[in-house]
Amino acid sequence: MLQLERVNVHYGATRVLWDVSMEVGAGEIVAIMGPNGSGKSTVLKAAMGLKKPSSGVVRLDGEELQARSATVRPQRGMSIVLERRRLFPRMSVEENVMLGAYTRKTAEARETYRWVLDLLPEIKPHLNATAGKLSGGQQQMVAIARGLMANPRVLLMDEPFLGLSPAMVKTVCSIMQMINERGVAILFNEQNAKLSFAMSHRGYLLESGRVVLSGSGEDMLDHPEVRRVYLGMREEAA
Amino acid sequence: MSSTQFIELVLNGLITGSIYALVGSGIALVYGTTRVLNFAHGELMMLAGYGVLLFSVTLGWPVLLAALATILLVMLLGAIIQRVTIAPLMKREDWAFNVVAVTIGLSIFLQSAAQLIWGEQFQGVPYFFSGVAVIGDVRMPWQRIAILLVALAVMGLCALVLFRTRLGRIIRATAQDAEAALAVGIPSGLVHTAVFSISAALAGTGAILLSPLVTVSPWMGASYLLKGFAVVILGGLGSFGGAVAAGFLLGLIESFSVSFVSSEWSNVVAFVFLIAVIWVRPEGLFAGRGA
Ligand SMILES: Nc1ncnc2c1ncn2[C@@H]1O[C@H](COP(=O)(O)OP(=O)(O)OP(=O)(O)O)[C@@H](O)[C@H]1O
Ligand SMILES: [Mg+2]
Repeated sequence: MLQLERVNVHYGATRVLWDVSMEVGAGEIVAIMGPNGSGKSTVLKAAMGLKKPSSGVVRLDGEELQARSATVRPQRGMSIVLERRRLFPRMSVEENVMLGAYTRKTAEARETYRWVLDLLPEIKPHLNATAGKLSGGQQQMVAIARGLMANPRVLLMDEPFLGLSPAMVKTVCSIMQMINERGVAILFNEQNAKLSFAMSHRGYLLESGRVVLSGSGEDMLDHPEVRRVYLGMREEAA
Repeated sequence: MSSTQFIELVLNGLITGSIYALVGSGIALVYGTTRVLNFAHGELMMLAGYGVLLFSVTLGWPVLLAALATILLVMLLGAIIQRVTIAPLMKREDWAFNVVAVTIGLSIFLQSAAQLIWGEQFQGVPYFFSGVAVIGDVRMPWQRIAILLVALAVMGLCALVLFRTRLGRIIRATAQDAEAALAVGIPSGLVHTAVFSISAALAGTGAILLSPLVTVSPWMGASYLLKGFAVVILGGLGSFGGAVAAGFLLGLIESFSVSFVSSEWSNVVAFVFLIAVIWVRPEGLFAGRGA
């Protein structure tokens, strides 16, 4: 459904993605794992059109999007939950969520709004609150709600667990699974290997802007390199 | 100080302040939404000044029509200037300094162009309103009162657009997080252009209201630019409401300082106040409000 093919990205003269190819199938949960600064966010931004690749192809259901602006993505069924929620801080929760449906007709948006509130009842009591004043966990729910308002078939999530309490990590995790069960594919990134791969169908390991490993979630968790470097286990214990 | 004197000072302060508020709120709106400090903002005023001259004096159109035509003209010019000179630069990673340089260049260019086209002789526009309003013992020409009333109406309209319309909502969203706005499908590039246009309309309104009282010249915007920046800093960088409040405050301070020190010192008093505020409250007096 979503494909990145040999995507290269530069910030100024610095090359940060090197021939990155990835794929997300319909209904899949796919994780991108990698250390700080490895380019995880940049992959998602390139997919979403927030950062133009210097070369390569971004394809959604066969349509090439790499040269198109980000604004066409929500209409095509792709949306993103950015790193650190990135809500509109001085707007109400309701305004934030409704803006997620900016490209859609009001009647359709209303319908999705009801669906989203049913899915995330936790935000109901806060609809009139100022978004920036909510806790990190609540903000993450609002950010997910805003992302879902585009009625996406693929949802990109940049470090959805960042800064959340362990209990909240669990909640967000089950929300992601719930969303996925409704047929939404998810491509997310996360620095913690266990968290990334345990909950995903497939995963990619990104290092210094290059995909160095990919496979099913289980295979990734079992891979000696992942176990040694990212899970802190010794070879013989494996 | 007699009460008549007091009312006169307040009224004068509010009138001067309403021009500062018009100029400053436009700069604040652009800065708050696009993070561009527009040094050519004063020249949008100047262009509006020449617009009034053209439509009302040269072509002899009725005042209201000339004013509307002028506003539309500067809105269009503002949009073109933003599209042609600023928008292309903002696509680059290192735009912040370049854009400042470009707006300074624009300012100089527009002043020189005006000088070449219209020459150095200063021109005046006749009063739009005749007569003197009498409030108690205070006598004030309607022309001056109109400045306050029209400025309030125009800024009120602008606030209504910002806080009560769909356009306003996408402007505020872009101001609060341009990338997140883009991600939900808001064409933030176009929003930037629209905001420039609205800001030009605010500057244009100021220039139109001033045009019968000052002379229209290539440099008429320059002094107001400085006051506009002061207002933006006082109001809390980028806050529309803060800039409006700070504009009136600065007008009142200047007005009262004139009654204690001579008028040449009013600028000094205003900027000493500004520096004091920067020391005590670097985030501005009214930070945290507005768009
Ligand atoms: N706006 C930018 N300008 C210049 N360089 C950037 C910019 N954004 C990211 N980079 C660089 O690109 C590289 C990849 O950054 P990216 O944010 O994609 O990494 P990441 O894996 O998401 O890291 P993190 O775990 O910290 O979120 C880093 O070396 C970073 O310094
Ligand atoms: Mg990141």
